[in-house]
Amino acid sequence: MKKIISISLSALLAFSASVATAQQQTPPEGGTPKDFTLPAKQEFTLPNGLEATLVPYGEVPKVTISVIVEAGNVHEGQDQNGLADIVGGLMEEGTTTRSATEIADAVARMGGSLSISVGPNQTYISGDALSEYGPELVALMADVLQNPAFPASELERIKNDFKRRMNLARAQPGTQANEKFRAALYPNHPYGRELPDDKQINAFTLEQVQDFYQKQFGAKRTNVYVAGKFDSGEMKEAITSSLSEFRAGPESSIPVAKPVTKGDMIVIDRPGAPQSTIVLGLPVVDPAHPDYVPLNVANSLLGGSFGSRITSNIREDKGYTYSPYSSISTRYKAGDWSESADVTTEHTGNSLREIVYEINRLSKEAPSEEELEGIQNYEAGLFVLRNSTPGGIIGQLNFLDLHDLPESFLTNQVQNIYAVTPEQVSETTAKYLNPKDMTLVVVGDKKQIDKQLRQFQQELKKQAPVTQ
Amino acid sequence: MTTRRIRLHVLRNFLLYAGLSLGLNLSSCSQKSAPPAISDVQADASVAPGDSTSADAAAFQIPVEYYTLDNGLKVVLSPDETAPIVTVAVYYNIGFRNEPKDRTGFAHLFEHMMFQGSENLGKMEFIDLVQKNGGVLNGSTRFDFTIYFDIVPAHKLETMLWAEADRMKGLKITQDNLTNQQGVVKNEVKVNVLNQPYGGFPWLDMPQYANKNWYNAHNFYGDLEDLDAATLEDVQSFFHTFYSPNNAVLVVVGDFEPAQAKQWVQQYFAAIPSGTVPATPNLTEPVQEKEQRFTKDDKLANKPALAFAYHMPVRNSPEYYAMGLLDQILLQGNDSRLHQALVQERGYTGSVGGGINAELGNMYNYNGPMLWMGSLVHDKNVSADSIVAVLDQEIRKLQENGIDQELLDLALVKMRSSLYDQVSQMYGFGRADLLATFALFDDNPARINELEAEFRKVTPELMQKTISEYLRPTNRTVLIINPQAQS
Repeated sequence: MKKIISISLSALLAFSASVATAQQQTPPEGGTPKDFTLPAKQEFTLPNGLEATLVPYGEVPKVTISVIVEAGNVHEGQDQNGLADIVGGLMEEGTTTRSATEIADAVARMGGSLSISVGPNQTYISGDALSEYGPELVALMADVLQNPAFPASELERIKNDFKRRMNLARAQPGTQANEKFRAALYPNHPYGRELPDDKQINAFTLEQVQDFYQKQFGAKRTNVYVAGKFDSGEMKEAITSSLSEFRAGPESSIPVAKPVTKGDMIVIDRPGAPQSTIVLGLPVVDPAHPDYVPLNVANSLLGGSFGSRITSNIREDKGYTYSPYSSISTRYKAGDWSESADVTTEHTGNSLREIVYEINRLSKEAPSEEELEGIQNYEAGLFVLRNSTPGGIIGQLNFLDLHDLPESFLTNQVQNIYAVTPEQVSETTAKYLNPKDMTLVVVGDKKQIDKQLRQFQQELKKQAPVTQ
Repeated sequence: MTTRRIRLHVLRNFLLYAGLSLGLNLSSCSQKSAPPAISDVQADASVAPGDSTSADAAAFQIPVEYYTLDNGLKVVLSPDETAPIVTVAVYYNIGFRNEPKDRTGFAHLFEHMMFQGSENLGKMEFIDLVQKNGGVLNGSTRFDFTIYFDIVPAHKLETMLWAEADRMKGLKITQDNLTNQQGVVKNEVKVNVLNQPYGGFPWLDMPQYANKNWYNAHNFYGDLEDLDAATLEDVQSFFHTFYSPNNAVLVVVGDFEPAQAKQWVQQYFAAIPSGTVPATPNLTEPVQEKEQRFTKDDKLANKPALAFAYHMPVRNSPEYYAMGLLDQILLQGNDSRLHQALVQERGYTGSVGGGINAELGNMYNYNGPMLWMGSLVHDKNVSADSIVAVLDQEIRKLQENGIDQELLDLALVKMRSSLYDQVSQMYGFGRADLLATFALFDDNPARINELEAEFRKVTPELMQKTISEYLRPTNRTVLIINPQAQS
């Protein structure tokens, strides 16, 4: 039911031809929910350990294929920051039998695309094509995975592109803030490394690239996901015939991070900046933890959605910012929560004050049943959306595989969301989101924000500890 | 009331969009009324020798039901049972290029006001209504229209039709709401343009340099002073002038019963009175006869960048479709000529992006002069001239070597696949976007199923003619970013 809010009518400029001051109408409730079940999947494992999942979905005659290998920045050595990216980049430069241009031409004839990207934990070979070319695309992607040529002639260009990309990233205030934030939380883990600089990238050799590939790539670390419209029999055959010979390679292994909780403030000067870029947060639980779902619901209510409290406050009430959001970043067996916002410079301190106010308010007072139910409906709705596209479905399945989560993480998710109580929301907030424990990174014009930040910090220190 | 139901082929277009912030863009759609099957379209397949995929493609049809209410509101219904989701999209036929001359950025500011309160939904209540019903929403302002859309669980269709009708009836905005959103929009400009390296490059910049007509060439985000100067009266006047049902289209895509949807549409929208919509201003651009080059200093950027743009042929003309295919050949995909020449062979850049209506839409969703544009960031040791020389060389190669049927077929396959991506984009939104703009600008949303046939009409001769007329250097604007920050 809609609440009638109290607005002074004299302050309103009502300008509709049909405006009536009669009693307000309430929105129609809608019908009964339709059933939603996760799309059916077919899974199989090849003798070499490679796992494949097929999810026929939808009617658009396209197929999406992801070959995901557990080989990422976490697998780099101490002085190899960015090597995994160079490996991924050079894998795009051709196989022992096909040049990069030949691959590009072949993919184009399938009405498709093929690209490689590298993340902290995994390397993603991502492809799509018109449905009838699905098996052919699998064979091509299998070739890219198993037979990279690593041409020496292209190494300098790939390094140069990577250097350029890193330089561009470093110029962005959001990247600067996130980099420092991660570095503060994960000081002894690759998750906390800063973006590689020119010198580090220049030092990489072809031997290092080949060595990384040899040591980190193999069938035991590879998952193939297929979603969209395709013939399951043909697809299974294509995967089996093109990937059965892939060497088993190393076992799955990701070093577990031990994040640091420390109420620090880091300020990066950006002279003349019209906004301050803020990241405020701390380590929390990983997705396998029983508190993850309640924390996720609390996050959604607090800052993780358009209608959330922090966004309502600093955007829709105060107008300090455009796109604030809070989120839980999941790492392997770890996680962190943060609120990010680009706020107008003169309201840097005010914005932080309001963010902390909203966190503390949620810690102290349980939300109303109505507010919680709204956010539970929202999260349940997002669950359906996340599982309603080929890319989304693959993302969800890979999430389970990466984090060693059981099937029930997905199948019970909606039920678990609705099981969260108002008290649990405030208890979870109090337990995990204590503002005094949070690392604060601000990228902004020091001259204008130093005083605001000092004042904010003093106020924060004086605050009474939050009790549940 | 006219109802049309059309079958036919689907094509694809470019995945270029910038204004929307929902993140997920891979999606899938289907329809129960026209399951893909090899059927009566085999004949079409034979039109394109060497393209073995035409039969399947031709059978993929999007259901389109189109009619107009007595008050002039256009309505498009397109059922799709893939997921229990429904997308409700309302497109108003007013974009940023048509905003008042002394109020730059107003169309976009006004878009924000549509979330600030209507007759029955106060501030934040529209957003809350969508969220608590399990949905997501957004708005976006483009060259020629303003979008509002909601993606909700299928059983909430009536709720959203009611809510969209409520704000079409009228707004209730206070000075506080306006002041608040002026702050929000100024922060939006800061975060996307003023505090970002390459902020506004090239999507916001290029139209201002390439075009001569104010309507096409002003700052669409708005000067901060103009944003500050907006008054409640401006908001009122803009709503009255442009936001009437006869200047809008309502599109519903997803898992719903059309008969029931029609009844609700009638119930909630039919009583909204029509308005008098002013004639569209003259948007014509003069024919460009001389190359233009501009340099923009960027104190936050640390590498040079270059964008090029050519004025497009008139929308829906034969040359327009040829340009769509030329874009596929020159700029889309790793096999494209410019990727191969600039990235693969020379290493001038890691990627070159762009397209028709790049970064603000696609080659279909606009209604006026438009640019075909590309851009790249490069190192300081590569000169702008050498990049432009490569561009000219690749175009010249096409001109001199000719374009044979094989190359045309390749472009057609890429085009078709990209249209599938477009109609799959963001659940039902990508499909709704094409249906809405084809209803608004062509009075024919069923064009969504007729595009491939249009592209198939393009001949090698027409490609040559289009290259000569439109991809000539004298029809081009080059914009160079001069970086002033340290690497």
